[in-house]
Amino acid sequence: MAMLWSRISAVLPPSEEKFLLQFSDKVESSVLDMLKRSRQQLYSGDATTSSHMLNAQIILDISWEKLNTGTWRDVDKEWRRVYSYGCLFKVAALCREDPSEDKIAQAIKTCDMGLLMGAAVMDNILQVLVQILQGEVRKPPKEEDETEHTNIKRIKIECPHVPVIKEEFAVPRIKCPSLESFRTNYLLPLKPVILEGIIDHWPALNDHPWSIEYLRSVAGCRTVPVEVGSRYTDEEWSQTLLTVNEFIDRYILNRDGEKGVGYLAQHQLFDQIPELKEDIRLPDYCCLGEGDEDDITVNAWFGPRGTVSPLHQDPQQNFLAQVVGSKYIRLYSPEDTEKLYPHQSKLLHNTSQVEVENPDTVQFPEFAKAPFLECVLQPGDVLFIPVQHWHYVRSLELSFSVSFWWS
Amino acid sequence: MRWFGFGFNAFGQICIHEKIIKGTDAVKEIKVINPTELGHVDRSGSRQGICMQTSAVRASWSRRASLHLDGEGCVCLAGFGAVTSKECIFMAESRGCKDAFISESYLTLSFPGRVESWDLENKKETPAWSMEIKTQPESSDMPLNLPLVPGGYIATKPPFYQSLSPHLKAKSLALGAEHAVLLSATGAVYTWGLGSHGQLGHGGLTSEEQPRAVEALWGMAMSCVATGGWHSVCISDGGDLYVWGWNESGQLGLPSQALRKAQQQSGQQADVSTSPRENPQEGEDDKEVFISIQAFPALLDITPSCEIKTVSCGSRHTAVVTTTGDLYTWGWGEYGQLGHQTLSSDEPQQVEFFREQQMCVVNVVCGAWNTFAAVVKEEVANA
Repeated sequence: MAMLWSRISAVLPPSEEKFLLQFSDKVESSVLDMLKRSRQQLYSGDATTSSHMLNAQIILDISWEKLNTGTWRDVDKEWRRVYSYGCLFKVAALCREDPSEDKIAQAIKTCDMGLLMGAAVMDNILQVLVQILQGEVRKPPKEEDETEHTNIKRIKIECPHVPVIKEEFAVPRIKCPSLESFRTNYLLPLKPVILEGIIDHWPALNDHPWSIEYLRSVAGCRTVPVEVGSRYTDEEWSQTLLTVNEFIDRYILNRDGEKGVGYLAQHQLFDQIPELKEDIRLPDYCCLGEGDEDDITVNAWFGPRGTVSPLHQDPQQNFLAQVVGSKYIRLYSPEDTEKLYPHQSKLLHNTSQVEVENPDTVQFPEFAKAPFLECVLQPGDVLFIPVQHWHYVRSLELSFSVSFWWS
Repeated sequence: MRWFGFGFNAFGQICIHEKIIKGTDAVKEIKVINPTELGHVDRSGSRQGICMQTSAVRASWSRRASLHLDGEGCVCLAGFGAVTSKECIFMAESRGCKDAFISESYLTLSFPGRVESWDLENKKETPAWSMEIKTQPESSDMPLNLPLVPGGYIATKPPFYQSLSPHLKAKSLALGAEHAVLLSATGAVYTWGLGSHGQLGHGGLTSEEQPRAVEALWGMAMSCVATGGWHSVCISDGGDLYVWGWNESGQLGLPSQALRKAQQQSGQQADVSTSPRENPQEGEDDKEVFISIQAFPALLDITPSCEIKTVSCGSRHTAVVTTTGDLYTWGWGEYGQLGHQTLSSDEPQQVEFFREQQMCVVNVVCGAWNTFAAVVKEEVANA
């Protein structure tokens, strides 16, 4: 374990003088003073761990307050950088003296908090640190975990209620179209289509099939945001932070008899865990957009059977790639927005008030008149959801999808 | 009148300790949990000598300004930038001031006929901003306290002066992180600014550009308002306390799930014996109703027997003084700002120290993460 600290200090700047702390004047000099105190402790090595921890915590607490002041998009990036430095100092304090397993788990969580809420500092050092720490806890894959295995089987056997897709409403399917034909026939006229065979080469579907065991081994100890509650329009809906292991135990395998639905939804997991990014590829068709490759937002959607994304629209083109399990999806054209009764509030105006599979025909009489397309997305399928197209998604079994938002 | 401080002391804003200056193992010194008396100062700034009475205390995250109004008014600064062997530094520029207001970057001083804001980040010879103010012609008007000035108020950052409609008849004003609460001379409460955490009290989470009356309080005259980072409070003429906004750390004194979860994670369970509301037989699954955001004002019972006299809020905690001279605190307490050992609490708890010392609390002022209380000896108060 003493090796751990030497590995950590090897990636830190060699001396206090080389460890730069530069911020705009948004960050007050009193806060900068706290950062300097922590830096000094990092290199001088005197003072107790509790003193190191407290100084790091002060930095985290003050920047947390700034991150929660105003709306998220208006938060100055400088404060997100301060938060990341706080995480860095806390990780150093936790790992300095022969850390216990629990301390290492805390350090990993601290890195993740920085990766989720902070902004990259020192060439994204939290990403480097978390790799080192993960190497410390990763154990060789266990012998087939019996209970887990049977549980997964049970989930699969429990025959999902698969809606019958009528042919006249079915989203068309096409196998590996040329870029040109996709552009002419679907992208320009903004027509939904399922592309088959375009992700068959992904490691996630070949060498590294995404199973629960695999996700546990790559990301088990990592902290991710989880949506709790059936749908985000519900009163009871909330967001929480869990490790991937906790999420799997609680919401996929229902180990503690958890009855609620948990969904690791709309999270940029692949930026947080680069190892998983290796298992997927950007679809070539994204190059038909005008945006830069760096502007493509890649989100993970991982959850049990029964997760629901209410009928909503997004401001970008979307490729929804299905890797594990199946999902029922309903699509409506933006031309029919009036019949879909979007919420009045500013926050939810991109979301329909109608429960798609159980509509209130009295309150929303026009809804039944809106034409739609539907499909069951299977592993290997990629659904093109044109910009502003309304979509409703329900998982039919344990499911992992990857979405690409592009313009 | 003596002043005591407790809570966040990383910059020596409550009391100076060698360990803080040297930056060594200053854990206990940074978290001042036991109320500690603020030092007296004389004009040269040293601890001994002719004592000056501290009339009022203002505090930001890293500093404390003590306002001395006996004789010629002046301000002494303690905390960040003033850390020397001395307790605090006398500000020569403040000579003759009548009131002061401090934020993390600026110290605003009001003098007869003018108001000045001094940049605390880059010390200069002249104020960063100043304005002439007309002395009020009607002598019947109550003198305004900062941040209010005739016709408007002084914000915590440039361009400083903001005008207010004369119809509001502003009597006092409290500024939160991104919102403002105004008390009018008629006792009505107006709020504006960011509403994301219910801190405006209009029932929603939307923001308001202009002062808007808190309708739920209509018809009840209020006598005092205060704001934390994301919460707001006011006291009615009858001595009742109303709270609204974010309850993330229990700062509203209502059951907070986020706080309970944080306590569970740190293995620091709330002491059951000190929380009379809980039945010890009830386990994990008692259906307590948690409040995360309180978007309308809620009446908070602190103690059935007495009225609330004054209130102040830190960024995530609240402190009140009762008419009987007791101090109660609740909310975030990780730095000792609640003045009791249990750290954070979503239930109002009395700060026992002052009662034990037979001291009567007469005023309270919170910094972001600390609390300052003014006390008199009990006999004096009863006389």
